[in-house]
Amino acid sequence: MSEYRVLLVDDEEEFVSALSERLMLRGIEVDSALNGEAALARLVEKEFEVVILDVMMPGLGGLEVLRQIKSTHPNTQVILLTGHGSTREGIEGMRLGAFDYLIKPVDIEEMLAKMKEAAKAARMR
Amino acid sequence: MTKKVEQLIRAKEIGFMGKVTASLSHEIKNTLAIINESVGLMGDLLGKDAPKDWPPYSRLTNLLVSIEEQIQRSAAIVKRLNQFAHSMDKPLVDLDLHELVRQITTLAQRFARLRGVQLEVETAPESLMIHGDPFRIQYVIFGFIERALWRCSPNQTKVTLVCSPSEDMAQVIVKDQGSPEGDWLREQIAAALSPTGISPGEQDPELAILALTMAELGGSVEIEEVGKNGNKVILSFPAKMH
Repeated sequence: MSEYRVLLVDDEEEFVSALSERLMLRGIEVDSALNGEAALARLVEKEFEVVILDVMMPGLGGLEVLRQIKSTHPNTQVILLTGHGSTREGIEGMRLGAFDYLIKPVDIEEMLAKMKEAAKAARMR
Repeated sequence: MTKKVEQLIRAKEIGFMGKVTASLSHEIKNTLAIINESVGLMGDLLGKDAPKDWPPYSRLTNLLVSIEEQIQRSAAIVKRLNQFAHSMDKPLVDLDLHELVRQITTLAQRFARLRGVQLEVETAPESLMIHGDPFRIQYVIFGFIERALWRCSPNQTKVTLVCSPSEDMAQVIVKDQGSPEGDWLREQIAAALSPTGISPGEQDPELAILALTMAELGGSVEIEEVGKNGNKVILSFPAKMH
């Protein structure tokens, strides 16, 4: 059984599909959403310790989704994914309450380590 | 059209180019992320399900490692492109000249490699903050790096950039070990800035534009010769540009 549940949110379907499968192969329970609105709906239906959230998405942007998650699910830890070379969005996200941020393309081992820390923080709150 | 309006139009045009380039670099990063996860998944499945004594096993795992290395290489290139694109966001910002010099030197490395010249940067770890136009400062520094590379003989010489504060200015020194051209450079720069100029046939137009851009930025260009082989171009930028 998975130690924690992860919601993966990104508008790139192939990215979500491949990364979800990689995480599942490592025994992690993963759910996914392809936009911010669907992510918020999933969070109402089910509890997640960790949300992996892309910053740049059409419709509801990642930082706005982060704001709403922190207001309705303060224990859920959010790790942001940014495609930019700059860390501007990541730092802004940290100010809004994100647990951490990762820059795409992501190293899976680094992501796993951060998710583990985030899940621990979610359980402690 | 007033000079102020011309400057505003140019800033908007540069901003547009930066915006589009930054957006494209973001899209490339997304496709690299997809390739990265797909390759990672292939490696995971191969490691999980394929028998280790299957003849193509090690060949395939080596190929996957090679693809992953190329993804990281591409990601680093796209990061540089993205940083360069963001230097066009605003015409005047607070910026760290050391960081800017490191970035533009990295972008110029390929030009140096193609010429067989070593390109190095010597900057202090602390920040050297100025208020200025990052795009145009990079344009001028790059222009003088490129000219320094041209002066150098392939595979023998190097170009070094040094960055330092100097009273209320900040200096970027481009040193090369190429053929001395001090007199010619001084003459060209003076002519570009003089109202009478020199005859068009004798003027190097690119050098003239570099000199005029420096003047517009409120800076100056000084040339020193370094012994029998080498030149030193001293670019002085004001700490606060307007």
